[in-house]
Amino acid sequence: MVTKVLCVAEKPSIAKAVANHLAGGQVQTRNIQGNPYVKNYEFSYNFPTWGQCNVTMTSVLGHLLSHDFDAQYKSWRSCDPSALFEAHIETFVEDDKKAVAENIKQQARYNRVLYIWTDCDREGENIGTEIRSVASQGNPSFRQPGNTVRARFSNIERAHIINAARSPVQLDEAQSNAVSSRIELDLRIGASFTRNLTMSLRPMIQEHTGEERSQVISYGSCQFPTLGFVVERYIRVRNFVPETFWGIKVMHEKDRIKVSFNWARNHLFDRMAVVILFERCLTARTARVTKVQTKPTSKWKPLPLTTVELQKCGSRFLRLDSQRVMQVAEQLYQKGWISYPRTETDQFDRGMDLQGLVQKQTQGGPWAQFAQGLMNGGFSQPRSGRNNDKAHPPIHPVNFVVPASLSQEEQRVHEFVVRRFLACCSHDARGSKTEINLLYGFEVFSTSGLVVLERNFLDVYPYDKWTSSQDLPDFREGQVFEPTEARMYEGQTSPPGYLTEPELIALMDANGIGTDATMAEHIAKIKTRDYVQTRPRARQQRREGEEEEYEPGEAAEPDVGRGRGRGRGRARARGGRGGANGRGGGAISGVQEFIPTTLGVALVEGYENMGFETSLTKPFLRKEMELRMKAICEGRKTKAEVVHESIEQYRDVYIRTQQRLDSLRAAVRKYVFQEDG
Amino acid sequence: MASGNGTGNAEEVTASISAFLAAKHVPPTQAWMTAFISTIRLNTPIVALQKTALFRLLATDITTSTTKSAASCFATNITDPQVKERQVRGPITVQLLDVEDIGRSRWSQVEAIEAQERGETTKGREVIRVVPDDNGPDAATQNESKSSGPHKLLLQDANGLHVYAMELTSINGVGVQMAVGAKLVLKDFIVARGLILLEPRNVEMLGGKVDAWDRKWKEDRKKVLKEKAGVREGGG
Repeated sequence: MVTKVLCVAEKPSIAKAVANHLAGGQVQTRNIQGNPYVKNYEFSYNFPTWGQCNVTMTSVLGHLLSHDFDAQYKSWRSCDPSALFEAHIETFVEDDKKAVAENIKQQARYNRVLYIWTDCDREGENIGTEIRSVASQGNPSFRQPGNTVRARFSNIERAHIINAARSPVQLDEAQSNAVSSRIELDLRIGASFTRNLTMSLRPMIQEHTGEERSQVISYGSCQFPTLGFVVERYIRVRNFVPETFWGIKVMHEKDRIKVSFNWARNHLFDRMAVVILFERCLTARTARVTKVQTKPTSKWKPLPLTTVELQKCGSRFLRLDSQRVMQVAEQLYQKGWISYPRTETDQFDRGMDLQGLVQKQTQGGPWAQFAQGLMNGGFSQPRSGRNNDKAHPPIHPVNFVVPASLSQEEQRVHEFVVRRFLACCSHDARGSKTEINLLYGFEVFSTSGLVVLERNFLDVYPYDKWTSSQDLPDFREGQVFEPTEARMYEGQTSPPGYLTEPELIALMDANGIGTDATMAEHIAKIKTRDYVQTRPRARQQRREGEEEEYEPGEAAEPDVGRGRGRGRGRARARGGRGGANGRGGGAISGVQEFIPTTLGVALVEGYENMGFETSLTKPFLRKEMELRMKAICEGRKTKAEVVHESIEQYRDVYIRTQQRLDSLRAAVRKYVFQEDG
Repeated sequence: MASGNGTGNAEEVTASISAFLAAKHVPPTQAWMTAFISTIRLNTPIVALQKTALFRLLATDITTSTTKSAASCFATNITDPQVKERQVRGPITVQLLDVEDIGRSRWSQVEAIEAQERGETTKGREVIRVVPDDNGPDAATQNESKSSGPHKLLLQDANGLHVYAMELTSINGVGVQMAVGAKLVLKDFIVARGLILLEPRNVEMLGGKVDAWDRKWKEDRKKVLKEKAGVREGGG
């Protein structure tokens, strides 16, 4: 008796790819009713677990189920916003997903086994349970443990998929629960705070501007801390007071080379002190070499690539904002060129065949020769970072693809992933560093010289720079000389720049806001909500000491089209469907910096002035929520516990906010209406 | 070792404690001793009395509580900027009136205080603002706001004379966490153009503090730093 297996992937492209890999090309494609994108692929396959099977492979389009409050709570005037902390939430299939759900339900009737092929991360696990619950309506037997299984895969490469297909595992209920609790919390907290915020402020804004438009002032527990970082930096820059400092520079010419020595104290903010120290140097007249040391040094090759790193580098080197980078990376993953782009892991598993992957890249592309060099003995095991999410390896190229067959943006991201991977598999760059220390008066001065001996990874990774400095003349320890020139100089401190996207991502990451999968969306959200704007950073603002940045060879393609959007349509919170309107994204030149709007500043200042306990714009509340999510995944807490704890925390904040709304209104008057506070 | 039980003789006790304090470079005035003796029980063990006396004396203003002599105070022209360099043997006891970190901009210190006021340094509410860079074994994190020192101190001797001093190298116990009114003993030091230059071997930290001064210093600190940075009041 042939077993019938129903496979369901998260997106149509994955379904098609997997079906073709397993079926070896012998696939029959059927349309479904009501939706032109989803197809059912029929083929046979011999699974070790069930023997020869008739397989139907189909997909959903991201989340199948949606959540919202019961009808009686839907209208804003129907209840006090705080009632939403407890209001009943119903789960249903949205209109645009009904055809997809119907297909699943119907197909379920004809099959004995449900095999989930959603992406292997928390959201995917959650979507997997949604699929199971819808399918069970057509075939209740899927609820029994043995009848629903799941595939573990990290990329769409043929051998990898076939391997995954042969070793199914169980759905991870804990991860799914973590997502469910996040969805519930985002809904309750997002809706109650958004209603409260909007109803408190919109009337006064409308009265002031005379507009009738229905502007929603939204709240999100991740958006606000993200906005908080932007506003804080903005205010720091505005409030910055430049201060004068003084330093001592020593220059000595020897063997016709002019060598500059740096003061060990760098610079001081007290002129009298520096004058006195400088005078003592001059009184001493001669300087003595106290140390001459030459030793090998290296510039480390980069760590294996994580999502956060990809987003940061995308912003800095590829002139693509984080959301766009992730969209393009997602496309490359679906086409089977790179591994799953949402990962925190920065270490390669020891058993992975990295050389095989390097071999694939010898086939072409501007890095082919370098890759060949690695195969000829230049290969070195990648560095290991400290993170391993145990779900996916670092982002790496999976197959060789001719760059010209990709779109412009895909080429840039793909090239970065390949070069990064090859750099990881190279040796560190090696050099020789000479350090010379002087004692002049009582003061210590030093200089150093670098000779780059082996570029190694630098040859394939132009995004890092390391160059030899000028040659240093010979100095001997104990040598005494009168410096050619010693002088005092004056300088001024300058303000930091406004926050750039890579900096913002780094801050979010360091403070536990958002996961690798969601950070880009929070950033996109504060743009679409009009809380911040972006603009290119002016070139001159780069400060002294910053290295020359990598410049991409060609200008960026203008931002046309977003792809279908459905494949990534993991509607996180109720209010947002992602898909920024492209403002500032993928700009042509200069790293983008964030400037808050007057509304953004008013919101942050307003909440800040309410006091310590209501820090909605500080990271810690959201960070604690993220930690609780993690606890669910690790089985240390239940969904009910986490929802309860977080609700209580936010309810507390809600009440305090209510009592101090005047602070918010005053901030709006000050910043948005520009009335003198 | 002094005998455990005091003999209860006020004169002897006074003399013993005075000598002890003088040896610590804080010779008390007669008036101070008299006041002190009136607060103690004479038959308390002498070692305990000495410790108590020192502790209390270190909490006073030495311009009124200690005796002065030419040897124990600064020369009156010590701050003369015309004198390029002079050596002073000491020991000279001083009290701390002000301490400044001149290696950091005033503004970055103001920002650090404000971050603390916003609660960002309390446990569980830390906000990380500087993200470390992964650059290799030679990566020097040039983070100016973290630097500490050198420190410039405003010192006062028993005569009431104000003199500035600066750390040449880091001295244990010197920093912005010092208590105002703390006592130090300086010896064998150099004065360059009116600025005392200090190394660890020149300084003995006696400790202590004057509560009222210290409190005021802490309250005013942010305002003072802002003024020094150049912020005009009434705006900011």
